Amino acid sequence: MFEFKPILNALLRAKSGAILLLLQIAITTAIVSNAAFIIKDRIAYLEQETGLPEQDLFQAEMMMYGGDIDLDKQIERDEALLRNIPGVIDAVHINAVPLSGGGSGGSYTLLPQDQVSQSVSAAYFLADNHVLNTLGVELVAGRNFEESEVIVSNDGAAIAKVALITQAMHDEFFPEGNGLGQTIYRENDPVKIIGIIKLMKGPWLNDKRKDRSLIFPHVRPRTFQKFIIRTKPNERATIMRKIEDVLLAEYPHRVVNSVRGLDELKAKYVAEDTLMVRMLMVLIVILVMITALGIFGLTLFNINKRLKQIGTRRALGARKSAIIRYFLVENALICSVGVVVGSLGAIWMGNKLMALYSVPALSASYIVITSLLVIVMSLLAVVGPAKRAADISPSIATRSI
Amino acid sequence: MLFHYIDLSWRSLKRTPMVSTLMIIAIAIGIGVTMTSLSVYHMMSADPIPSKSSQLHHVQLLALDEERTWWTKDDMPYQVTYQDAMNLLSADLPYRRTAMLKAGFAVHLDNSDIKPFIEQARVASGDIFSMFNLEFIYGGAWSSDDEESAASVVVIAQSLNDKLFQGENSVGKTINLDDMTVRIVGVIKDWPTYVKYYDLNNGAFREPEQVFLPFSLVAPNEIESWGNSNNWKAQSNRNYQDLLNSEVFWVQYWVELPTHQDKEAYASFLMSYMAEQQKIGRFARKELKYALRDVNEMMVYREVVNEDNKILVVLSFMFLAVCLANILGLLLAKFLRRAPEVGVRRALGASKTQVFIQHLVEVGLLGVIGGLLGILIAQVGLWGMRTSNSAYMAIADMDLTMLLAAPVIAVSVCILAGLYPAWLVCRTTPATHLKSQ
Amino acid sequence: MLNMNGISKVYQTEMVQTHALRDFNLQVNEGEFIAVTGPSGSGKTTFLNIAGVLEPFTQGEYLLDGVDIGKLNDNQRADIRNQKIGYIFQGFNLIPDLNLYENVEVPLRYRGIKAPERKRRIEESLEQVGLASRAKHLPQQLSGGQQQRVAIARALAGKPRFLLADEPTGNLDSLMARQVMELLEQINRDGATIVMVTHDSELARRAPRNIQVVDGQIADFSLYQGNPAAVVGV
Repeated sequence: MFEFKPILNALLRAKSGAILLLLQIAITTAIVSNAAFIIKDRIAYLEQETGLPEQDLFQAEMMMYGGDIDLDKQIERDEALLRNIPGVIDAVHINAVPLSGGGSGGSYTLLPQDQVSQSVSAAYFLADNHVLNTLGVELVAGRNFEESEVIVSNDGAAIAKVALITQAMHDEFFPEGNGLGQTIYRENDPVKIIGIIKLMKGPWLNDKRKDRSLIFPHVRPRTFQKFIIRTKPNERATIMRKIEDVLLAEYPHRVVNSVRGLDELKAKYVAEDTLMVRMLMVLIVILVMITALGIFGLTLFNINKRLKQIGTRRALGARKSAIIRYFLVENALICSVGVVVGSLGAIWMGNKLMALYSVPALSASYIVITSLLVIVMSLLAVVGPAKRAADISPSIATRSI
Repeated sequence: MLFHYIDLSWRSLKRTPMVSTLMIIAIAIGIGVTMTSLSVYHMMSADPIPSKSSQLHHVQLLALDEERTWWTKDDMPYQVTYQDAMNLLSADLPYRRTAMLKAGFAVHLDNSDIKPFIEQARVASGDIFSMFNLEFIYGGAWSSDDEESAASVVVIAQSLNDKLFQGENSVGKTINLDDMTVRIVGVIKDWPTYVKYYDLNNGAFREPEQVFLPFSLVAPNEIESWGNSNNWKAQSNRNYQDLLNSEVFWVQYWVELPTHQDKEAYASFLMSYMAEQQKIGRFARKELKYALRDVNEMMVYREVVNEDNKILVVLSFMFLAVCLANILGLLLAKFLRRAPEVGVRRALGASKTQVFIQHLVEVGLLGVIGGLLGILIAQVGLWGMRTSNSAYMAIADMDLTMLLAAPVIAVSVCILAGLYPAWLVCRTTPATHLKSQ
Repeated sequence: MLNMNGISKVYQTEMVQTHALRDFNLQVNEGEFIAVTGPSGSGKTTFLNIAGVLEPFTQGEYLLDGVDIGKLNDNQRADIRNQKIGYIFQGFNLIPDLNLYENVEVPLRYRGIKAPERKRRIEESLEQVGLASRAKHLPQQLSGGQQQRVAIARALAGKPRFLLADEPTGNLDSLMARQVMELLEQINRDGATIVMVTHDSELARRAPRNIQVVDGQIADFSLYQGNPAAVVGV
């Protein structure tokens, strides 16, 4: 029915065209499966849940250059001012902004530093008790800071006695889940865990610490300051536009800078990865197109070369469908070998990429799916030329050239 | 003869418009994709200061205690401590050198309508200008007296001078940086680099700073770093003085070592310096270690060309291989079908070589057309990259080298693809195809 | 066996209308061996194509073995070609990528004959043309005469009742031509109806019945129908 054997024999006798097609299909399979896998990996990274209502949050940085004010008092005044803007849900002075790529980190231990114990690195945030409401993160256990717990100090050694930590950080220290109320240490200073935050990404999305953060009730009044403001949905843009004027009206000797949405900060931080995803997508699309065009062109040529043969086959009683089938089967044979070779190539390439770069191990499903798609694509590319071949008149067989 | 071949080739391409178009599309897209990723790679990895790159050396000292590990791949801190920077600066050596760090200030003028704005600054030693080939438009670097006396002086770059003073000679004028008033002693041309090779700690493709302050201002003005600070020793820095005396890494250090001998001499100086410091309890480790990397070594070490770009280059060359196979297949089909015509030519006296060259000229022509179209496609690709990521503004671009490389690669690929088909077709014996016609 | 009534064939190009056949009438009875001759451009190839169901006709009626060809769709026409007609072409038309065995197999596969039966028939027909020992050879390894014998074997393997031969000896030297001709005569004696188109009048004379096509019509030789001796006398 499908003439496998004679087609195969014919192919084996006219090698070069088939080998080239096979090679194209193999490389295409190898590239596409790896590229698709990297794309999936990056998209998962780009779309990871941050635990933050990014659309409703924005930051404002400012530099106080007057030197004529009490910074901690001014921070309080600014916070009050921001919180009272209509449409603002809450606002907080903070040392670092999640998702922005800039922040501070430290090491924390289960026991004071002179004793050997487990150490966990994490990002830390310094803010007052408005931080939870502003960031819109969820507390799964424990309580928020009380106002009395908030320390105001520029002393580098000052550290709050209590902290909120993320679930991920908690689980590092206390896999049994009994961390609430326990004490951890920063160097020799004890810190009591009073609350656990369900999910909150830190400043660095592509860092091992991305899920591990602490928040201390601490305000560090410096000349360079950051605020995070959370607005009601859809009111952010309006408030972002007027925030500079509002702040300058309150105190003029400052520069308000980098008024940016958290989604924008995140987009900037992950811009490389977004670009990579786009590049790979374009690459896949045009690669598949090129391969399809190649198959299309080569089949057309094969058909032109075999006009007489096709006419003869029609004269000998081949139905149109048999001619179409002939080319489909021929192509499917080449293509199957191609995807098998390509799959091996994909595995090899995946291993190489994994060895040289931080690409995770290629999962087999990507190879299988790519192979199937490549076969379908190649059959689609052949259908047109094959139909044209089927339309060749059998009377061509009696022509002398 | 070449023109005759080109004429023949052109006719041949026109005779099979469909296949010619397919081949040109294949080579153009292949070149377009390859040149897009290759151009970015080329721009990223290009030597930012060819005349000095082998002389400028970045200093790293392994100041960690024995058995301490660090998060860099060779366990070496990227930056040095303030005290090491000051000690190295004060060493009496005949080499230009600079400590540096990134800072930021609110820039504002007295009696001016210009709205105060934040500007990043590079706090460095006066040698920075000569070391990094920074050209002065007005004035010059601050003097060593200024440096020693921590004079409130500043050098600004042209763009900032344009913004603040409409491009006039502003030497002698003052500007305010936060609450500090500084006098302009020089205006340089904007730092002509798109890769911040002198400080790769906060991303390689950022704008160079426009404000330059003497490093001696750090301590008296308590200038905060806007770059990275890394503390490895569990010690609390209660105040700024603590920071200056601490083991925190936050200063970059560069030295200009013109010859290999200089480099060796400086290396032994570093070793003896560290040994000296061990006496006061620092560098508490058995094996002292330093790193002296020149600009290009530094770019490789800090992976200025990121992984993604390397992967893209690899993938796009594989892509080009697909295009090559594609063209080879089409050429094979096309040339073999022409065998009868070649038979006639051979019978009329064309030599094998002539037939071979004629066919290579034809594929070369394909390569030229495809290569030129490929440049257009690469421009679209690079435009897409610039649009997608503003950090690529300066690097997603084709320089002359790449513009010339495109047709060269295209023609080479085409000729590579054409060799086998051309060889097959030139083996056609004159007689074979005459009869059956 | 073959009955053409008022067949005409018009080739329409942008500029001209060419009447390749005009009101063409022919009857061929079961078991006949007819030679069709005519100058080039006379329409004999068109006649052959229509008779062989390779090409549709513009007007008229064509019955082949009682089947009204004009009413068939493309698949039915393919089946008719496959089952009722055997072809022998001037250029042999062997498929170069297939060996002799596979070449002979082509029409049998289209007919859906099972493998063992195919094998039997292929071997039988290759035997008949004296090339059984060469089954694994590729066409280009054979001489022209051998190739044409393979083509005949391919035509025979389907056991057609109607054999169309188009200048079967056109590309062969005279010795080979005679062998092929003898083979055709043998096949005719075995019961197949043969229509042979040729421009070689000597060859044509060996056929019991001759017709000549001129200007798309038959120059009538019906006078001599069934009387080969009379033809020889012309």
